[in-house]
Amino acid sequence: MAREATLARPLARPLLSRRARELLGGYLYLLPVGLALGATVLVPILSAIRMSLYNNVLIRPQDYRFIWLGNYARLLRDEVFWLSLWNSFYWVFGSVSLQFVGGFAAALLLHQTFRGRAVVRTLTLLPWIIPGVVVALIWEYLYQPNYGALNDLLARAGLMTDKVAWLSNPSLAMPAVIATNVWRGVPFFAIMLLAGLQAIPDELYEAARVDGAGVLQRFWHITLPMLRPIIVVATATRIIWTFNYADLIFVMTSGGPANATQITSTYTLLQAYSNLDFGYAATLSVVLLLIMLAFTMLYLRVTRGVEPVA
Amino acid sequence: MDQRWCLSRRHILKGMAAAGALTAADLAWWEEPLIAPRRAWGAQPVRFQFSVPEPKRTALVESLAQRFNQSQKDFEVKVEFVPQAQARQKLITSIAAGTPPDVAQVWDNWVGEFDGMNAVEDLTGKVKDWSGYKDVLPLAWETVTVKKRVLSFPWVVTNDGVYWRTDRAKEYGAKPPKDDWNFDDFLGWAKTMTKPEKNQYGFGMRGQGTWAVLYATEFMYANGAQLLGKDGKVAINSPEAAEALDWYLDLFRKHKVCPPSVPTDGWRGIVEGFGRGVTNSYIHNSGSSEEQKDFVKADNFATVPLPFGPAKKRVSFYFSETLTPFKAGKAREGGWKFMAWAMEPEPHFMYAKTLGLLPARKTVADRPEFTKDPALAGFVKSFPFSIVSPYLAYAGWGGKLDSEGVPLFQQALVGKLSSKEFLDKFAEVLTKNMS
Repeated sequence: MAREATLARPLARPLLSRRARELLGGYLYLLPVGLALGATVLVPILSAIRMSLYNNVLIRPQDYRFIWLGNYARLLRDEVFWLSLWNSFYWVFGSVSLQFVGGFAAALLLHQTFRGRAVVRTLTLLPWIIPGVVVALIWEYLYQPNYGALNDLLARAGLMTDKVAWLSNPSLAMPAVIATNVWRGVPFFAIMLLAGLQAIPDELYEAARVDGAGVLQRFWHITLPMLRPIIVVATATRIIWTFNYADLIFVMTSGGPANATQITSTYTLLQAYSNLDFGYAATLSVVLLLIMLAFTMLYLRVTRGVEPVA
Repeated sequence: MDQRWCLSRRHILKGMAAAGALTAADLAWWEEPLIAPRRAWGAQPVRFQFSVPEPKRTALVESLAQRFNQSQKDFEVKVEFVPQAQARQKLITSIAAGTPPDVAQVWDNWVGEFDGMNAVEDLTGKVKDWSGYKDVLPLAWETVTVKKRVLSFPWVVTNDGVYWRTDRAKEYGAKPPKDDWNFDDFLGWAKTMTKPEKNQYGFGMRGQGTWAVLYATEFMYANGAQLLGKDGKVAINSPEAAEALDWYLDLFRKHKVCPPSVPTDGWRGIVEGFGRGVTNSYIHNSGSSEEQKDFVKADNFATVPLPFGPAKKRVSFYFSETLTPFKAGKAREGGWKFMAWAMEPEPHFMYAKTLGLLPARKTVADRPEFTKDPALAGFVKSFPFSIVSPYLAYAGWGGKLDSEGVPLFQQALVGKLSSKEFLDKFAEVLTKNMS
């Protein structure tokens, strides 16, 4: 009896190669994230850019029209915009530098072993936990020249005779709101840097001690370099947040007196919700976005050599 | 976990209901309880937006809506409370999105903006057929008339007057402000009543918000200035205006009869300053009279008209709190019925009296609760020389007053600009936005 030979049949050739299928699978997994990011980030940005090219004042719907770069030209001539930009830098770098110094000092202190350290660490976090608007209201009350606690305290301590109008004096208003922001932001740096300090191996300090390094030398040659990645990331993040952070100023001074605390983000709010000029407000937002993009690129360039240390 | 300590939704709802009932109990005039069975089953909902600066209003308006709902079966008013500071923005964005409420409580200076957005309808014919039309003060109708069309109901009206401390005037031997006082009397009063060592100041000037500019403008008018000249052009930078503004700003800059917080004192700042005893007088409308009765007690303060200026003139700007229906509203008939009902004498009286505002209806305004109350006397006496705010002339001025007028005014206040420089720049802003 003749045996039937089993013939190998070639498998049907798949439509896509294995590599292509793998790639496609990967992209399909990414699709939901891509769609979510596109809908929540990309579309609003594109929409803002589009809006910035229109004359779009809500109370004048009849004047709605495409004006090319008209809003950008107006922005170049707008004195308050330039003032607000200058104020923004003052506000951001004043706030972040002092927050960093205060946060670093607090982190070094909290890194020490002492009785009640857990309680002090929790208390240090408090300003960061309180919502920004509540912080603004509390400090607005503290600064109140007529019945605020700060003036009362200074007067009782004999440090002040005339009442100081902290938020009503154009030269003092910005330092006053910066001080409030510093109070709120110190815990952020403290916690970030404390986590970094705890990650530095003790052996490094011991070896340095054996080599005769003093406190300052150990700080300069071990602590600071080891914390550098955290410092860079925390500072950059905080700068971006502070640049966009309008709540505190909006509640405390509304940008006044006489635009002394008007930063670009509060000015954008003013244009959108007081003047209802959404075209110009969108232009201000786009410019803010560009400034932040430039800063982020600079940040990425600076941190490129830092990341491997972590 | 001990279930007895869980805060269930039922507990929260019960708590809220109890809190509402307690708040309603504070309204002695309201005989029916706030929590009552609803009768308007199947009724068409009417969305009513109301801005709330304080809790009393919430309870009052809830009660008002409930009484309306119980008075008929076809419509059911649902109140949407929004914070006062966001009321205008919320309305404008909802109009732009095509979902405005059916009716909203808005200030008359916003109505022109809504008209600019083509969001409100012409009610002229309807209100003229309404039974109470002739009982409403003509000036009140004027506040809601844009381009010869009535666009809203003037619910209550306000004008400006001066609140002053009667008890402290006696204590310091100050000459009490008279109804026909002038700028010199005003300055004399403010100086006498300023006691920095006691943390007391004669006058609580407003430096923040639209009304900071409006109050200053009233003083300019008292010196013969006008916002618009006979040719229809902006004339607020006239020498008369600059002279009066200098005098007004010097109260803070030179005479130091105002607290140092002036540049950032908005509505809350001036009302609280007087309420806490820091200032001995301030300019506002009747809206804070009820609050001051709680703060400084009714016997300790009174109100008086604004002073005469060197030109022997004076004005007080009229505003109204309106009930405004929107074209895109889904229940326009229900909205109209609710507005007409709210303007009926009894609800109208209760709304105005509870909030210390002046009724738009003459027969209601003539009641002794308004004419005999010393806290309101200054406003009632100001009626003869009250005018509709000239800033209502152009819708485009509404937002600009706040965004550009106030920062410029503050610059003049802190000495960064002279009065004339401020007025020139301000006139430029107004001229650019005459639309």
